[in-house]
Amino acid sequence: MKALLLSSTLAAAFAAAPALSETLRVGVATAQTGALAYADVPVSGGMRLAADEINAKGGIGGDVKIELVEKDVRSDAAQTSIATQELADDGVSVIVLPCDSDPALAAIGVISSAQIPAISTCASSPTLPMIGGDYMFSNFPGDNVQATVSAKWAWDEGHRNAYIIYSPDTQYTTMPLYFAEVFEKLGGTIAGQATNTIGQQDFSAIATKVAALDPQPDVIMTSAYEPDFPSLLKALRAAGVTGQVIGSDGIDSPTTFSLGDVAEGVVFTTAGHATPGSPLEAFNSAYEAANGAPPETIFSAVGYDLIKVLEAAVLAADGSVEPSALRDAIAGLENVQGATSLITYKGTDGMPVRQVSLIRVADGERELVGQPSPDASLIPAPRMQ
Amino acid sequence: MDLILQQTVNAFALGGTYALLALGLAVVFSIMGLINFAHGELMTIAGYVLMYCGLAGFPFVLSVALAVSAAVAAAVLMERIAFRPVRNASGATMLVTSFAIAMILQVLFQNLISARSQAVVLPQFLSDSVQFGGLIIGVNKIAAIAATVIMLVFLDRFMKHQKTGIAMRASAEDFAVARLMGIRANTVIAGAFALSGLLAGVAAVLWVSQRASVDPLMGFTPVLKAFIAAILGGLGSLRGAVAGGFLLGFIEIYLAAFLPQELQEFRDPIGLCIVVAVLLFRPNGLIPSLALKAEKV
Amino acid sequence: MSALLSVQSFHVHYGAVEAVRGIDFEIREGEIIALLGANGAGKSSTLNALVGLIPVAAGTVMFDGSDITHNAPETLAPAGLTLSPEGRRVFGTLSVAENLLMGAYGIRDKQAVAAAWDRVYTLFPILYERRDQFAGTLSGGQQQMLAVGRALMSNPRLLLLDEPSLGLAPKIVEQVFELITLLRDQGVTLAVVEQNVAMALEVADRGYLMSGGRIVAAGSAAELAQSDSLQSAYLGAG
Repeated sequence: MKALLLSSTLAAAFAAAPALSETLRVGVATAQTGALAYADVPVSGGMRLAADEINAKGGIGGDVKIELVEKDVRSDAAQTSIATQELADDGVSVIVLPCDSDPALAAIGVISSAQIPAISTCASSPTLPMIGGDYMFSNFPGDNVQATVSAKWAWDEGHRNAYIIYSPDTQYTTMPLYFAEVFEKLGGTIAGQATNTIGQQDFSAIATKVAALDPQPDVIMTSAYEPDFPSLLKALRAAGVTGQVIGSDGIDSPTTFSLGDVAEGVVFTTAGHATPGSPLEAFNSAYEAANGAPPETIFSAVGYDLIKVLEAAVLAADGSVEPSALRDAIAGLENVQGATSLITYKGTDGMPVRQVSLIRVADGERELVGQPSPDASLIPAPRMQ
Repeated sequence: MDLILQQTVNAFALGGTYALLALGLAVVFSIMGLINFAHGELMTIAGYVLMYCGLAGFPFVLSVALAVSAAVAAAVLMERIAFRPVRNASGATMLVTSFAIAMILQVLFQNLISARSQAVVLPQFLSDSVQFGGLIIGVNKIAAIAATVIMLVFLDRFMKHQKTGIAMRASAEDFAVARLMGIRANTVIAGAFALSGLLAGVAAVLWVSQRASVDPLMGFTPVLKAFIAAILGGLGSLRGAVAGGFLLGFIEIYLAAFLPQELQEFRDPIGLCIVVAVLLFRPNGLIPSLALKAEKV
Repeated sequence: MSALLSVQSFHVHYGAVEAVRGIDFEIREGEIIALLGANGAGKSSTLNALVGLIPVAAGTVMFDGSDITHNAPETLAPAGLTLSPEGRRVFGTLSVAENLLMGAYGIRDKQAVAAAWDRVYTLFPILYERRDQFAGTLSGGQQQMLAVGRALMSNPRLLLLDEPSLGLAPKIVEQVFELITLLRDQGVTLAVVEQNVAMALEVADRGYLMSGGRIVAAGSAAELAQSDSLQSAYLGAG
């Protein structure tokens, strides 16, 4: 403990002259416990794998080692702010924030005044970098982009009549509102909408309402995730609703594929798909080799992407690990090859341009429907709540 | 008309699950004056057992039996290890103990099993539905209602006709005098925890059969609902817990079903306002516990 | 005659308050003992600590040759020592029969329990009539009978009665004291805490007078009845 204290004091002392450092110190203030651990824990696994791989080759560009300084923020916004402050005082070059926008937003004040770039592990609300300012970046396809891809697909499939189920509890669970906007822009009708609470156990009332609609909706779109999504899906099917169900990356999880008949034909958008020979397939096997088990979720690959982005940024900054140089480098990145996708920050406000994959559940397995590039004119503007 | 009937069936199924949950809290509270917030983690344990049994390919009936037994065993252990040492401490100490247990278990689940939801393999028939005239009723709804009825009948018979059950009622009313009669405190309290574990186990099977997954924090929502239902019904009163559970189920389902869309966002606050309104008229709950009444007078 | 219960240097504390400050007394087989004193003299504390409901701070309690000073309450009824607590405290939400069943809870000997049912229903026919009624619906006098009946279900050798006449109509009070004599004749040893000093001394063999947590006078019932300390104990403390 004393040694640790001493080293952090030393680090703070040298923070004023970070250019001397040969190490990229990445402050990781993410949720290893609590409600966001389901996302941030697998992300950490992917980040560690990427850092180990890079360090094994001598570091970024062969000489800049990556050091992850991890702090558990327990899924708590206040803790995130405190941990970020501690990491900033500790002189890290870049800070990784939790998956959800709310705790990430709690750290804005700290990162803006310390002028350290920050990347949320997997928050997908396009409003995060908008509110977060110059130093806040995301690392996931935006909700509005995912919704554009799924709405366009639904329209192209000939569906004209959609029902949306969303939750006002978080930014992410309001993705169906983007879907509705795009779907209506394409000429479709929104037959109705229902709201749920995150963690709601019972969806039978909503399912009964949907089942009573005449005509029945062609499409039911939701961004509910576990445990809500399986309950919702089962309730809909048990009530006799047979329309196409569309979900989002939150249901890219083993549970969805083990639901049996009820999940057959469900389509969802996600951050990537391991086609043969793809970087994602390579990542999955490297992860399995390192951890003894394949990744449980795409979030691990997204964590890998994050470190690859930092690697590219350090290279673009000519090996500098100085925070504001890194910020500028990240903002100018183009076509960084991650595990899931090519990643571009150039020309965005911090919400990266990334590929979106459409996946269908077929015979309990994942089947790639497509990896379409969304039409920019269809993508809705970020909606401030 | 059919729509109302259909939503009523939904309300019975959800209310029944809430009733089992609230009963689990009430059984322990009536005897020890403890609201065991780790009750939800008993459900999580049952859920994980269900998950592992599914992975091992056990028949579902056996998995359910093992899951429920695990919840009972965990409840008894919880009492033995954590609550017995603080039994004579203040209510606040016991409450904090229960929170601590809940948090410790959650972190253990996250670190030893996974922070991620784990899929629970369920038999296909649970997702099917049955048609009764104009009604379409999911098999898991029927299972929930049937399990609730069986548990309530069992509990009623146990409390009325078994010497241990009668002793638990006596202890709930006046623990000191019950001990004078030779009723052993350890037996009654362990019995209460075992019963609460049984109720948590059955509720967990119903809960998991809807969500098809189990995660480390799964217990939070049910214990919160159970707490609200138990307060609504009258804390410490078993009949009250059942009444409170059903009322909460009806409030939630009818609001989700019939509240205008503009107000749906405020469904939960409106539901809680109704709960508060009921409590304004009946401050001790729908069917107050006699022990509680006696204290207040 | 040997002592069935003997108490030495007995102290009971409620937090910082010393309710009982070192008392010695004994109860012999077949006696009726009256424990007298004003409110707050320490009588109820003594009984409650004897049966383990509140901890004994210091001293020893021997019952029938064994040390029961720190025994848990639930072990005493099977050993033959039962308290019928102040205020009757019947289980109001249980039926009369269930209350009696609970009285015999710790007793393993089935024949003894069967005999106890007979005995209680013979002593109190009204309890038999009302056996399926909730105890909470009985009158005060009937509840007192139930409380005593419940205590008798464990066939106690020593029965401690805490304020058995409290709140009862005079006629019923007489019945209660007749009952106490009757039980003694049936072989039960009794210790009675009473406010009704006159009645208590009428039925008791011996008595102890407590004041301020100490025993201030002891002797046969007749001696105590004459004693000045009786008057001063009731007027003095308070």
